[in-house]
Amino acid sequence: MRKKEKKLVVTFHTTADAMAMEKACREHNAPGRLIPVPRSISAGCGMAWCAALEDRDRILQVLEERKIEQEDVHECML
Amino acid sequence: MNLSDSKKKLAFAGIVCGLVAVCLAWFGNPANMAFCIACFIRDTAGALGLHSAEAVQYARPEIMGLVLGSFLISVATKEYRSTAGSSPAVRFILGMILAIGSLVFLGCPLRMIIRMSAGDLNAWVALIGFILGVGTGVFALRKGFSLGRAHLTNRVSGGVLPALMLGILVLAVATPLLKSSTSGPGSMHAPLLLALAGGLIFGAFAQKSRMCLAGSIRDVILMKNFDLLTIIGGFFVVMLIYNIATGNFTFAFDTPGIIAHSEHLWNILGMYAAGFAAVLAGGCPLRQLILAGQGSSDSAMTVIGMFIGAALAHNFGLAASGTALNAETQEVVAGAVPFYGKAAVIICIAVCFIIAFANKRSEGK
Repeated sequence: MRKKEKKLVVTFHTTADAMAMEKACREHNAPGRLIPVPRSISAGCGMAWCAALEDRDRILQVLEERKIEQEDVHECML
Repeated sequence: MNLSDSKKKLAFAGIVCGLVAVCLAWFGNPANMAFCIACFIRDTAGALGLHSAEAVQYARPEIMGLVLGSFLISVATKEYRSTAGSSPAVRFILGMILAIGSLVFLGCPLRMIIRMSAGDLNAWVALIGFILGVGTGVFALRKGFSLGRAHLTNRVSGGVLPALMLGILVLAVATPLLKSSTSGPGSMHAPLLLALAGGLIFGAFAQKSRMCLAGSIRDVILMKNFDLLTIIGGFFVVMLIYNIATGNFTFAFDTPGIIAHSEHLWNILGMYAAGFAAVLAGGCPLRQLILAGQGSSDSAMTVIGMFIGAALAHNFGLAASGTALNAETQEVVAGAVPFYGKAAVIICIAVCFIIAFANKRSEGK
């Protein structure tokens, strides 16, 4: 079984924003992947962007450059 | 109570929901309709006099229980959030489509799983349509589909649908105002308190696990994530064991008594419309009830849309008929989708495409 570790999780107001983040990260060669919003964060069923903690600055930079509004930035055991 | 930090716990949630469905089927619900959201909303709409199909009128406590179960558990665990403002009118239309598509197939996605577990091959055929519908919705998401964000709103707003459900429950228990079928599927039901308890338990577990038929397939297609599908797997296995153990498992197409038809194209298209609309609305009919219970006024609008869609499906003769055995001749009379039902499904699919590609993320900014 995969060992859990602390990850950076960016949540969004809409699924479309999460999809836009995926596209932006692909275009900027930024690390990470789409995941369902962890249950510990929300009872909703949206999507979030998950990356390593050390990639925080890179991820926030993509959000800023592409003007994608995040709901929150969390650190979660995943 | 964290049900989602391991696949075992998610499967457990599905098993509990399956046991609730088994229990209700055992104590009187139509066996293969043990826990169908579209059918039960249709029955409840009939009880309120929104349609006049006499065989399908009964205020199903399961529906009230689902919403109230979700409401109570979300308040108790501080997850209740009153939100609104994400294109409510569009969501109303999507609710109507969810109901009409489901009633042409004769069951919501949850009942599709129940019918699949009873060996009904028509449901397995419909699954193709459902997966294609969800896939089309995912394609729209990739193209930037969005109904806009919901905002936090007055706490009372999110409590309106739970309050309405409580009101229907009170009317059902304390007054003779609601209609109740004396024959047909509407007359077959588990005792009220048991059905209500089942709904409350199902609702609480569905809220905690985020159980969703459309979401489970969406997550597999989009993210190769099998968490939500694990819940459905647990539910399916329990129903399969129950059906085999009780002799209800019949691996066939034309099965009188199952409340199903074998018009394959319309089974596929009915569930295609439901799957497509579910992804656009952010959840299957079950999930809409749960989201409405935990405070989403947008999902409440979808639920009200399902009530109206179900009523129209019977007022206008859109709903399919099930294959049945003629009591006198003992001949099998094939179920069918009426002409207007077929036309309605085509319109529903066309409307889904318009909604999917006319609501883009950039337009909402």
